[in-house]
Amino acid sequence: MGPVVVLLTVLQWAGRGLPSPVRPICDPRVLDRFIMEARDTETALRGCKAGCGVTGTFVVPLTNVDFVVWETKDTEQQALEVQSGMSLFGQALGAVRESVSRVAVQILIDNNKSNIHSLGQVLRSLHIQDLPLPPAPAVGDLVTRKVSSLSELLHVHTNFLRGKVRLLLTNAPACQQNST
Amino acid sequence: MTNNNLNKLLVFCVLFCAQKTSIVHGAQALETKVALLLHAEPENPKCFAEGMSDLTCFWEEDEERAGSADQYSFIYTYQNENSSECSVTALPAAGGKRLYFCRLSQTQLFVPLDIRVFRDDLLIHNRSLFIEVVFLLDPPANLTLTSTGMQGQLKASWLPPSLKYMGDSMMYEVSYAMAGSHIGKVEAVQASSELILRGLQSGTKYKVRIRVKLDGISYSGYWSAWTDPVLMETMPGDLDPLIVSLSLIISLVLTLLSLLVLMSHRRFLLKKIWPIIPTPESKFQGLFKVYGGDFQEWLGHSTGGLWLRPTYFYSEEFPAPLEVLSEVSLGPVLPSSALPPKASEALGEEEDEDKKLKRVDPALMEGWRETPQEHWLMDQLRAIHKHPAPWTQSSLLESHDAYVTLNAQNHSVEEPLDDILEETLPLQVLFASGRTSSESRSDLGSVQQSSGSGRLSSQSSFEYPNHTWPSKGPGYTYMAVADSGVSMDYSPMSSNKIDDIGKGVIYTNEYKNEIPAHRRPIGTPIHFAF
Repeated sequence: MGPVVVLLTVLQWAGRGLPSPVRPICDPRVLDRFIMEARDTETALRGCKAGCGVTGTFVVPLTNVDFVVWETKDTEQQALEVQSGMSLFGQALGAVRESVSRVAVQILIDNNKSNIHSLGQVLRSLHIQDLPLPPAPAVGDLVTRKVSSLSELLHVHTNFLRGKVRLLLTNAPACQQNST
Repeated sequence: MTNNNLNKLLVFCVLFCAQKTSIVHGAQALETKVALLLHAEPENPKCFAEGMSDLTCFWEEDEERAGSADQYSFIYTYQNENSSECSVTALPAAGGKRLYFCRLSQTQLFVPLDIRVFRDDLLIHNRSLFIEVVFLLDPPANLTLTSTGMQGQLKASWLPPSLKYMGDSMMYEVSYAMAGSHIGKVEAVQASSELILRGLQSGTKYKVRIRVKLDGISYSGYWSAWTDPVLMETMPGDLDPLIVSLSLIISLVLTLLSLLVLMSHRRFLLKKIWPIIPTPESKFQGLFKVYGGDFQEWLGHSTGGLWLRPTYFYSEEFPAPLEVLSEVSLGPVLPSSALPPKASEALGEEEDEDKKLKRVDPALMEGWRETPQEHWLMDQLRAIHKHPAPWTQSSLLESHDAYVTLNAQNHSVEEPLDDILEETLPLQVLFASGRTSSESRSDLGSVQQSSGSGRLSSQSSFEYPNHTWPSKGPGYTYMAVADSGVSMDYSPMSSNKIDDIGKGVIYTNEYKNEIPAHRRPIGTPIHFAF
């Protein structure tokens, strides 16, 4: 009994630094659900008066995808764009959550934040490591832009998920092995 | 050198033809898509993406107002980018219209695109769209129908449009209908390249077609055009087990009913199919079974057999025994002349007690006619009948009775029956009294000598039921007379029914004759009448 306990302890310590092996989440329906919920949030808050009380500007990633250009990038570059963009959206939605007072709006914002966190887990399941984020983007950066309303923020958020994030997940090497 | 040139020319021709074919095909596809968008998209310009990096926009103008392509400017601007311009081309269209096209070969998705169309610096169209939501794909290729090996099913398979990253976002609609029918069904399937159609009729030809569209989550667009219909016939249907079982049950029931009918009418059917060959077996009992068809032998034994014959074999004539027994004492012997001299039967005495059946010539019977003497005899007989005395052998012997005797011929040789049947058997009635002698009876048809005296006694058989004629004893000769109207049977102890020839009175009498020797009138005919 004693040696077994020692062995288990050693194994657990050895595996502590490594992420627990997670089965790759390659089902596109997972991301599709995040996309639909983001779209529903965008639709629900489009008619919000006075921007639902949200003021200020938010830095958001660019969402345009040129397939020709995209395919020239490797998975790591693609992952970096996705992760940095997700980070920006996380920050922006956090700031929005602070400024809204309506409970209904708060619930929707919280749902989107949760989805962003879950999306991070999905990326990790595809063996896409957390990469060190680039420094805070400056104005005029070619990879970011600013928005000044909640509706535009949510719209960009939806486009980002539909485009770059989905392309990355669909063509992840881990999922390509399962499909072939 | 020449071969080389020829090869080049051949390759050029092939490529040209292929390109021309593809161009023609492409032109047809473009024409189809334009027609679709003109119907489906209300905004202008109408734009559609066929692949991952292209965008085709067009608008329509009337011929009257249409200008040259140079007059139009197509300006497009991606979000946060500078504007760009697309060159415009014009194509004639049906119905006096003109189409102006602009095609982009490099696009950006998931970002708003702003489009403005100018004609002579006049803005005529303005539209903002996302390219990833205006996909109009080509119809799926290689639509194939195969059998699944099961009834009422067909498997449809196809080749999805070759768009990278979008395979799992495609949805299909499969339309199938019976060949020649306009009413069909549509089934949707997503992210797949085959579909099993179920619930089809067996042995029926179906036409199937398919179209494709992006599912609208990440990518969206318009329904593609339908593919050309593909025809295939489903597997022929097997017999429904229910129908088979019902058919078996019904056939079994019908078989049982027919068997019942046949069994109930089997005798009738047997008669029709296998008619019974009539045989005279019933009329000649024992002739075939016992005597093997020997009629002579059968006749010889038939007298004894008659005693044992069952009565129901005789359906026609039941010869009732006739016993003529008269109790009237006549005193003087009636002269034989009182009786009309007429040929009749003679009865000789037998030497033995064997009884034989003899037949009397029917012609002999015809000679019997009623005479006044017969009336007297009849009266006597009736008187006897009215007061029938219990017959006993002793009484007969002792009473002073009138007897009917039968003459016997002096033949020493027993002649065959045929000879006897001729008019050689006179019947003589003698009335004697006090004669007690009893002789062995003589057979009617026998020509045996009757040596002893014989007495003929008669007794009405009404005292005795038919067929129960008691044995009279060895000393008496019995003669049964049967008259069928055509012939008369004389047989001892046969239950013959005697018809009254003249009067129609039917009664039976038993004859017992005992011809006294001294009284034997030889050759004297006696007319005997009933």
